[in-house]
Amino acid sequence: MAWLEGSALGHAMRSSGVWTYGLVNLTHILGVGSLFGAVLVLDLRLLGAWRSVPLAAITRPTVPVAAVGFLVAATSGVCLIATNATEYLGNPFLLVKFPAIAVGLANVVILTRLTAWKVRDVRELTSREQRQLAAAGAMSLLSWLTATTAGRLIGYW
Amino acid sequence: MRWQFSLWMVVPALAVATLPALAHHGWGGNASEEFEIVGTVEKGVSLAGAHATMKIRAEGQVWDITLAPGARTERAGLTEGIIPVGAQVTIHGHRNRDAKRYEIKTERVTWNGRTFNVYPDRK
Repeated sequence: MAWLEGSALGHAMRSSGVWTYGLVNLTHILGVGSLFGAVLVLDLRLLGAWRSVPLAAITRPTVPVAAVGFLVAATSGVCLIATNATEYLGNPFLLVKFPAIAVGLANVVILTRLTAWKVRDVRELTSREQRQLAAAGAMSLLSWLTATTAGRLIGYW
Repeated sequence: MRWQFSLWMVVPALAVATLPALAHHGWGGNASEEFEIVGTVEKGVSLAGAHATMKIRAEGQVWDITLAPGARTERAGLTEGIIPVGAQVTIHGHRNRDAKRYEIKTERVTWNGRTFNVYPDRK
């Protein structure tokens, strides 16, 4: 944390005007909003909502929006932490947030390796496959909701 | 067996999001009594981050002085480097509710006969 605060990024964040932090914070919110919004729609579909809409029609827009949202959120997030990194030592919400993100990303790896995911626009899924996707959707929703909640609460500690 | 989607699965998770929040943002984490302390500047004003900050030494402790957001603190005339390290300042505000935390959410800083009122709408 001390290294991050002392890094060129930390210096740049602290010496580039009083509005920089707010604007980077805005970018972070836009990233998180895109990620969580897309993930919410996708996960609810995996859990069985909007069954009349083909899964492939939902994954096509939501997956890239979520991926770009994650990259924007992660990049801006590093900038935000670097500003006063040592202030966050001992903040319990940080210790919830980052493991939750790790679980969310691990879940992406698992989900995208499932046969059910790979054949989603090739054939009808069996009910067993649908349950697998639903489980991954539930895990995804839980992890990203936890990460977002813990992230929001960091500033309130 | 058909996986039945139910909105009720989402509700407990959303409930977590409404957990009561603590200090830093807002005044809820700080005592309602007015608090004033005199000390020497340990680390000068920084306008970076969600709130401007400084550190003072008083009563044998280093205190975290949480000011207003950067732009607001700057508008009150309290800019980086204006108060030298080691100078004597009076901090007026509200102490953290947690007695083990030496943090003051600050309304006014007085130095060298000047008062920087970062929250002029608060008494």
